[in-house]
Amino acid sequence: MAERLGNRIKERRGELGLTQADVAELVGVTRKTVNTVENGVFTPSALLAIKLAAALNVPVETLFWIER
Amino acid sequence: MNHRSAAEQADYLSRRRARILPGLFVIYMSQQAIYFSAAGRAPTSAQTVKIGAWALLTIVITLALATKGFWFQPRQVRDMIDDESTRSNRLEAMRLGFLLAIFGALAAYFFNQIEPLTVGEAIQLVVSLSLGAALIRFAILERRAHRYG
Repeated sequence: MAERLGNRIKERRGELGLTQADVAELVGVTRKTVNTVENGVFTPSALLAIKLAAALNVPVETLFWIER
Repeated sequence: MNHRSAAEQADYLSRRRARILPGLFVIYMSQQAIYFSAAGRAPTSAQTVKIGAWALLTIVITLALATKGFWFQPRQVRDMIDDESTRSNRLEAMRLGFLLAIFGALAAYFFNQIEPLTVGEAIQLVVSLSLGAALIRFAILERRAHRYG
C-alpha cells in the first residue's frame, strides 16, 4: 500500500497570513517547491520539513504526518 | 532596474526555464533530423559547422542539466533556483537519460549488424537520444511542478 506525506501547510499559512511566496522566502526555496510540497506532489527531505515547520512555527510532526 | 528579491528572481527564472526547455528540446532534436538526412553523403564544410553547432549545444545542455545552470546570476539566486524539488527533477531526468544512453548504445550495436553505422552516427544517436530524453523529462517535471502554483 502506497504511503504519502500529508501536511497542513496551507492551513497553517492561512492562520499566519502568509503566502506561498512568503514561506518560500523564509525557507530559502522557490515558491514552486512550497507549492509541490503543499499539494503532496513532492515529498520533502527531513531538512526541508524541519525548515518548513520552523518557518510556520509548529512542531514538524504537527505539520506533517504519514497517510496510508 | 531590478527590484525583485532573490526569491522572486529565482521563481521568475525557474518559470522562464520551464517555458523555454520544450523549445530547446525541439531545436536540439531538429538538428538530428538535419544530420541524418545528410548521412551517407560526402562531408562538406556546412556539415562540419552543423556538427560543431550540435556538439556545442550538447555541451551547454549537459552542463546546464548537470549543474545549477544560470551561471551569470548571483550565487544566492542560483542556490534558490536549484532547490530541493528542482534537484529531484533534475536527477530523475538524468536517470532517464542514463538508461536511454545504455539502451541506445545497445540498439546502435545491434542495428549495426543489419545496417552499418559510422562511429559519428552511433555517437549522434546515443547522445541525442539520451540527452534529448533527459531534457524533455526535466521540462515536463518542471512545468508540472509550476502548474501546481
